[in-house]
Amino acid sequence: MPLLNNFGAVFTFAIQLEDTLHDYYQTLDDSGAAQAAKKRIEKLERARREYVVEITLEPIEDLDSDDYVLDTSETTEAGRATIEDTMERFYKDAAPKMNVRQAQRILEKCGKQFERTL
Amino acid sequence: MVKTLQNYIGGEWVDASTDKTTPVINPATCDIIAEVPESNATDVDAAVQAALEGFEEWRQTPILSRAQYMSRLKTICEDRFEEISKTVVEENGKTLDEARGEIRRGIESIDFAMGVPFLMRNDGLEDISSGIDETTIRQPAGVFAAITPFNFPFMVPLWFLPTAITCGNSFILKPSPQTPISMQILYEILDDLDLPEGVVNLVQGGIPASEAILEHPQITGISFVGSTPVAKLIYEKGTRAGKRVQAQGGAKNYIAVLPDADINASVRNILGAAYGCAGQRCLAAAVAVGVGDAYDGLRDNLVDLASGLKVGYGLDETTQMGTVVNDAAKERIERMIQNAVDAGATIALDGRGVKVEGYDGWFVGPTIIENVTRDMEIATEEVFGPVLALMKADDFDEAVDIVNNSHFGNAASIFTSSGKYARDFKYRVNAGNIGVNIGVAAPSASFPFGGQKDSFFGDLHGQGMDSIEFYTERKVVIERWV
Repeated sequence: MPLLNNFGAVFTFAIQLEDTLHDYYQTLDDSGAAQAAKKRIEKLERARREYVVEITLEPIEDLDSDDYVLDTSETTEAGRATIEDTMERFYKDAAPKMNVRQAQRILEKCGKQFERTL
Repeated sequence: MVKTLQNYIGGEWVDASTDKTTPVINPATCDIIAEVPESNATDVDAAVQAALEGFEEWRQTPILSRAQYMSRLKTICEDRFEEISKTVVEENGKTLDEARGEIRRGIESIDFAMGVPFLMRNDGLEDISSGIDETTIRQPAGVFAAITPFNFPFMVPLWFLPTAITCGNSFILKPSPQTPISMQILYEILDDLDLPEGVVNLVQGGIPASEAILEHPQITGISFVGSTPVAKLIYEKGTRAGKRVQAQGGAKNYIAVLPDADINASVRNILGAAYGCAGQRCLAAAVAVGVGDAYDGLRDNLVDLASGLKVGYGLDETTQMGTVVNDAAKERIERMIQNAVDAGATIALDGRGVKVEGYDGWFVGPTIIENVTRDMEIATEEVFGPVLALMKADDFDEAVDIVNNSHFGNAASIFTSSGKYARDFKYRVNAGNIGVNIGVAAPSASFPFGGQKDSFFGDLHGQGMDSIEFYTERKVVIERWV
């Protein structure tokens, strides 16, 4: 799914990233971080459901999932930092693309959680 | 072997009284995904008798309890949100985002119905004469029915059912035979609520069931959404039979774009308005009128962005425009495009012949037609597909004249940064839903869904306070106790 050209495509991709991250944190035995990823998934699923505004669905441009690939084979501190940087970058890039403020806020809040862990 | 759908009557899933069925076809894959029974007058009468029986118990159920059922209905709809969304895509062909948006708006109608205990309250006066008090009360009016269309198979039934039953009525739904599966899910959810038997009933089928609803003497009122010729017929037949009728018909929605509009933002929004749900919505933008210097920028930007829209199967989340509902719709749309060309219009973007790899469905790509004049079929008649006609107007007054020339009056929008022109547009345009810098002027659940001229037949619209009026009977009580 290289193109993130719709409201739902952005949120579904975010959920997929968080799901990957959840498994990654479990591999690292970091149950706290895994739990936080799970909470973000729930938040993103709720946002996808509740903040979709049928009358203002507009195409989204210049957002490509290939730019946010997570290399989960890298389990070092540096590898983890790279992954979390990618997550933060994704949320920072995606949030302004939303034309619904509540949806933007959810993406911004998810992104901020990675700022704190850096 | 695909499933043959059943009716839901008197709290039970039952087979229709005939063996005749019609296939329900996924418009993208062309797979048969269900068989819908051709219910008839016998089935409708069974539903009406169950609804009459259920009505007596239900109207005595405390109104706060009735509203509580809506709270539970909402909760289960949220739980099954993705499943319902995907079902709508499979039966209708729209995109997943559009389906999710539809389900969300349906749930907003359930939210509205939770407010019925407040909205059904009425007024009164003490001492209208010495020692005499006068009050009005609202009461449920009996058995209501709705005949709903394929284009919003989950949302439109919810414009009616939640408010109707929370007001204390019982209800019969006949959804479109082209998109009946999401209503099967809704009724599974309603079954889980353990409402008294007969409060909600589902009759699947087509014309015979609709005719039986129209003719049944014990149905108090009918809500209909569909095409104008059928809406008119339903209104005429229904009112002749003494029923309340609200019948929403077709549309030809105009959008005026002024030179002072933010053209980039406007075009993005018009794109959604014209091609959302593949243009199969009664609020779809059908004609964009570029005023003065606005035309060229409007045309070029629209062609540029529309040609980049990804057409495909709605379950692929990167799809930006899905299919039209069936082969007849595709043929009609393509024929109307050709008619426009034959009448002298030119095609700026041609969506005919679009192919989507891996699917044989009924795809029509975004189409833009220019050099359209106001007398052409493409400017006057509903296409109900992803076709946007472009017209030019020298000034604002001419644009208003073009908009008001339509025999439809569902919606009209203006894109401008001028408060004066926005105000004049709202004031002068004869349409039931007006958009200012928004192309889909869809009222939220607490406002009536407008519609004028050939777009609506009746007095009370769906949604909002109109729906409370439609679903209740007012009674005046004059009391003297001295």
